Amino acid sequence: MSDSIPLGTITQEAKPCQLHPQSMCPAFGSLRVLTRIEGSHPVMATDTGCLYGLTFVTHFYGARKSILAPQLGTAELMAGQVVEGTRAAIEVAAKEPGCQLIPVVSLCVAETAGLPEEMLPKKIGNAEVVLVRVPAYAIHSHPEAKDVALAALLKRLGNATAPKEKKTLALLGEVFPADPLAIDGLLRQMGVEATITLPGRSVDDLRRAGHVGALAPLHPFYKETTAVFRSWSIPIVGGAPVGISGSYAWLKAVGSLLDLDPKLVNDVAEGERARAEAMLKAQPLSGRIFVTGYEGTELAYARLLVEAGAEVPYVSTSIGQDPLVLPDEMWLRARGTKEIVYRKSLEEDVAALDKYPPDVVLGTTPFCAIAKERGIPAMYFTNQLASRPFFLSTGMAATLGFINQTMKGHERYQWMQSFFEGEAVDA
Amino acid sequence: MPKVIRDLSDSSSYWAAVWTMCAMPDVHVICDAPIGCFNLVATAVPDYTDAIPHIENITPSIITEHEGGGSGTGPAVQRTYENLRDTGVLKGKHLIVVSTAESEMIGSDLSDLVTQFQPGTTFFHSESLSDDEWLGRDRVLQWLWENYGQSGAATIAVEPGLVNIIGPTYGCFNAPSDLHEIKRTIEGAGGRLNLVFPYETTLNDMAQLARAQVNVVLYKEFGHTLADSLGQPWLHAPMGMQGTTQFVQKLGDLLGTQEKANAFIQQEKKTTLSAIWDLWKGPQSDWFPTTNIGIVACGTYVDGFTAFLGDELGMPITFASSRPLRPGELDNEGVRQLLHKSPPAFVFGSINEKIYLSEAGARYTNFVPASFPGPIVRRAVGTPFMGYRGAVYLLQEIVNRLYEVLFNFLPVDSAYSRPSGTGALNGAAKPVNNKPGHVPGNLPWQPEAKALLDAALDKLPFLPRISASREIQMQAERAAQEAELKEVTAELIQTVLAARKN
Repeated sequence: MSDSIPLGTITQEAKPCQLHPQSMCPAFGSLRVLTRIEGSHPVMATDTGCLYGLTFVTHFYGARKSILAPQLGTAELMAGQVVEGTRAAIEVAAKEPGCQLIPVVSLCVAETAGLPEEMLPKKIGNAEVVLVRVPAYAIHSHPEAKDVALAALLKRLGNATAPKEKKTLALLGEVFPADPLAIDGLLRQMGVEATITLPGRSVDDLRRAGHVGALAPLHPFYKETTAVFRSWSIPIVGGAPVGISGSYAWLKAVGSLLDLDPKLVNDVAEGERARAEAMLKAQPLSGRIFVTGYEGTELAYARLLVEAGAEVPYVSTSIGQDPLVLPDEMWLRARGTKEIVYRKSLEEDVAALDKYPPDVVLGTTPFCAIAKERGIPAMYFTNQLASRPFFLSTGMAATLGFINQTMKGHERYQWMQSFFEGEAVDA
Repeated sequence: MPKVIRDLSDSSSYWAAVWTMCAMPDVHVICDAPIGCFNLVATAVPDYTDAIPHIENITPSIITEHEGGGSGTGPAVQRTYENLRDTGVLKGKHLIVVSTAESEMIGSDLSDLVTQFQPGTTFFHSESLSDDEWLGRDRVLQWLWENYGQSGAATIAVEPGLVNIIGPTYGCFNAPSDLHEIKRTIEGAGGRLNLVFPYETTLNDMAQLARAQVNVVLYKEFGHTLADSLGQPWLHAPMGMQGTTQFVQKLGDLLGTQEKANAFIQQEKKTTLSAIWDLWKGPQSDWFPTTNIGIVACGTYVDGFTAFLGDELGMPITFASSRPLRPGELDNEGVRQLLHKSPPAFVFGSINEKIYLSEAGARYTNFVPASFPGPIVRRAVGTPFMGYRGAVYLLQEIVNRLYEVLFNFLPVDSAYSRPSGTGALNGAAKPVNNKPGHVPGNLPWQPEAKALLDAALDKLPFLPRISASREIQMQAERAAQEAELKEVTAELIQTVLAARKN
């Protein structure tokens, strides 16, 4: 949290001004994770403008779940009613049927006014009350807020002293639902007895998290969550099952960390590698692609595309630079990626568009709109890639199939561009 | 006890300011905001309310811990201004710096700072901690007039026949269609359009508002203060047949175009409105008295739906909840409880009501989007709620959904139902087992069981009751046969009803 959003007059040469940072409101990451848990009834402590926007996107992208909040306007703030109001909302939430968990999501205005944790109940009825502090002024991206929320839940619900179930694994990352099934299937062939996926739909999985034999972060921004597992003396698997080489190395790493039968692990890893290679042969990629989302998973996607034969000169993301991302960064740089931008702004993405005109853009909505204005096929990374399998050979097949199909659409993008803008320019 | 909000329906005045100002291309806004307040108002939400990829003429100062922690937001706003200026973005633009809840929270007042920026730069204190979006829109329209319109208006003479439309801004449900229809209605009554403010105007042209003889304010929620300031007679945009007829006549009176206005009304009765007359004469209108309706929408729509669907067509209005909430109306907590208990046949509302209906499993209720929040595209101009065309569109929508209800409850031969299905939802019979002792034909019902069935049906909207009745009977009789009962007992029907979620 200590690094800040780089702003203003950038002194490095040829760098554009960073005026419009590209991230969903960071707090949304936490709401997405918190509303999707069965039996979880979040309370948001914030002003109405913030509440409106975050409820809007949560109802669209999180869960069909009613959201409670204390009224925090001038009157309540002046009267110092932040705590009192929040407690009142917690009481209403506790009455929801099946309520097991009340995450209190504290946002900019409540954080500025002050919401001391010790003034909130820890438990009400059967429900745990967990404070999650995600002011957008301090948490700079949507993925990182997922990490903050999950870490807060685990600190409360996870059992640090639980006896470890050695041959079990926690998969860490919000992924397409079919992905954990595919991963679990393969891992069981290697001798893994069970997996859980975090963040998931179940409070029980949070409670079980302290029992696992190892943690496998599938996404590189779960810094605080990973630290919680480390504090429980649970080892961490490096890398992720992405692409041919990445999947192979990851399966081997899981095998050795969980002390599985090396012969079995090797057979499974080799088999998966053969499938991935065959798949790639069947639908190779070519062309130049930008990966410029704000999900924090952009480098891994770029890596898959490069391995499949695409040129990816430019990758940008909303998360900060971190040792967890470094392996992917180095892998990409060694294979021709020229720029990797963290905490990116729209201006940087647009400058790259001029510098390395791409065939396809996978980006944020504002950037995709600009690409489409130039007749370049562009897809909203969040909607189109997060909604497809990604990991292992099955994930590769789904992702590459989609990109190939998008590439083929370039004439339609050009026609649209010339229909709406071409004429006007000529006239 | 402090107030607890369930699923906030109204945004804040900061949103109102951005969504009003940024609708004009010659404005650039610097919002004094953390990254989230910028992203939500400028990209994440207008993508799904107004179907625009993002609002381009707004830049955030980006409040971080640094600004919040004592240095104030002045330097961040200054730096943002300088960068915008240096990249040429501000050329030919009116720059407005807008406060947010967070900047207000840390007491940031930039009225002095903006005087050092390019000439004409202003600071709008949005009062985001206290005002909602409706009050906010009204206030910002008036503020724009005082700062950008009024002084230039002194020399502008009123031109007879000209009419302004005040509103909409971004984030107004169904605005393109309603605006389209109100323009047509004004022209039908003999008026000529002057400005549509702010949707189709530049801030440069704001003084030209003074040329119009009459102003039409699209919504009851905002715009009236500006209309009062303009000093000319003004009217609210109409809904329903009676409301629209009175509006056309009144506008004709104000403009001195009575003849044209009356001719328009007569012509509309023969063309646009003939659909309503035909549906009234047909079997469709027979359903109206038993088709009950709940409304959650801006007060303008609540009044319009109540007048047209309720008073003119005779549909019972079960409840109405305005945005902003009027005294005595159900708040979201009350609406939720009502929808969980006995949802009406139609609910006009936002995504909140849609969620409450999902929670209740209310599959006999038709949800019709009529309000934000909620993602929806309403950019086609053929779906108005206002004016004569709005009346026809609303009625058409309701009748078509009633047809849909009927269709969904007609039996489908069970051979086509999913093999894994628990029995077709649409009333298809599931083949009854051939247990020994099974007697074909109707099973007798205990009177208590029948009473429970009647009570359950009473809670449903009227039209689907026949089908629901058949469906529950079949479920109960199947369960009775499986349990080898000789009659349907009260206990059994209770179990069957509990397993259903309507």
